[in-house]
Amino acid sequence: MAAINLDDSVMTTRLDSVVNWARKNSLWPLPFGTACCAIEFMSMMASRYDFSRFGAEALRFSPRQSDMLLVLGTITNKQAPVLRQIYAQMAEPKWVVAVGVCASSGGMYRTYATLQGIDRVVPVDVYVPGCPPRPEGMIFGVMELQKQISRESLSARKEHVEQFYRSLARQEELQQARGLSQYQVVREMVLEAGAQGGQRIW
Amino acid sequence: MVIERIEAQLPGAILDRHAFRGDETVTVAGASFLAVVDLLFGEGFQMLLDVTAVDLETPEFRFEVVYHLLNLASQARLRIKVPVADGAAQPSLTGRFKSADWAEREVFDLFGIPFEGHPNLTRLLMWEDFPGHPLRKDYPLDGGDPFCSNDIGASYSPEARSLNA
Amino acid sequence: MTPTFSPFLPIMLLFLIALGVGAAILVVSGRILPGLLKPDNPQRAKLTPYECGAPPLQEGARHRYSVKFYLVAMLFILFDVEAAFLLPWAVQYKTHLWTFWAMLSFLATLLVGYIYAWGKGALDWER
Repeated sequence: MAAINLDDSVMTTRLDSVVNWARKNSLWPLPFGTACCAIEFMSMMASRYDFSRFGAEALRFSPRQSDMLLVLGTITNKQAPVLRQIYAQMAEPKWVVAVGVCASSGGMYRTYATLQGIDRVVPVDVYVPGCPPRPEGMIFGVMELQKQISRESLSARKEHVEQFYRSLARQEELQQARGLSQYQVVREMVLEAGAQGGQRIW
Repeated sequence: MVIERIEAQLPGAILDRHAFRGDETVTVAGASFLAVVDLLFGEGFQMLLDVTAVDLETPEFRFEVVYHLLNLASQARLRIKVPVADGAAQPSLTGRFKSADWAEREVFDLFGIPFEGHPNLTRLLMWEDFPGHPLRKDYPLDGGDPFCSNDIGASYSPEARSLNA
Repeated sequence: MTPTFSPFLPIMLLFLIALGVGAAILVVSGRILPGLLKPDNPQRAKLTPYECGAPPLQEGARHRYSVKFYLVAMLFILFDVEAAFLLPWAVQYKTHLWTFWAMLSFLATLLVGYIYAWGKGALDWER
């Protein structure tokens, strides 16, 4: 009997690689669109730039059904606890991309009302600068995220997620203790963290 | 003209008037404000476009509450400014104009000017237990957050220059 | 004498194999692989109901709702069962003369109930 040549029909790989390959090529975005960056995101989804090439055709506006939170636009201090709740309700594995300068650092809005960067309240994986970033820029950002995902290890626990949930518990404790609304508690946590030299509350 | 008719019927109500490139503005004393608004409503100015305020910090009065009215029939617009002292309340126009509801809430939220007779005078843009009134001149722009200023960003890297320098 | 067996036996065998393969696929991809690969991190905040990030308006879904839903469901069941009884009758109503009248009396009874429900306002959604 002739030797069976399996070279082209069987490939061997590591579990890490396969799982990461599957995850990075099927990133379902949650477009948390609040401002102009969301318009550029729509451009990116449309046919010319076609974000669905990256497996991201399925836009799910629910945290339960998506794994990549794309924060597109300005996040105000009033919106900060809402963003934290949405991130909390996403199932792991989850990643966050801060699209645009407003999400990355507060952008041109250096005021009492604008959150100076979402990384103060949620852990961020990739920052895409621009006001708004071009669709190619956002695609580059997601490709960087894909590179990060391919380097991930399956067994390693994500410390930033744990820290985030602990900060959420701390926020709820403070709400109970001081009887304030979630908006005021998060604002105070942000100002406290800033005063102590750090920037993030998670 | 409408303003002459107001002056004729309510002498002393109008403190000042000026026009600029077709924009008519009258400054009305607080005591006769409601009478002037009723008169204007009768004249056809039946749409309240906006209520806002300015923090002037002049010695006589602190705020100036600004109303914009539109006459849909003649397409005439009129701006009414009412000087209001710090802590004094303004009568609410919610009885006459539905659009005054949220506009007055916004002014209350951002300036702290209370409106008497408003059905639900709570904060609109900021959250309910936000301390202070942000658009007052004595409220800091960054709200007490030092990371809003450019200098903090510049300190991250020794080579970076502050854009203000 | 060779034992005879049903010509459908191979089909049943194939059906059982298909069921078995299907079950195996489901178990492996639904239980075994996720058990190995999924990140298991049940957090209290993660399990809260999704309300667009806002603080919850009320505690859970065990709140009161209008009785009109129950009324509609009950009326539906009754008239649906009536319709189900009409179906076998429709096939053989021509066998006897009195079959037609028997069903008509059944329908008349239900018609009285229908007029009663209508008159009492059970069909009036607004109330």
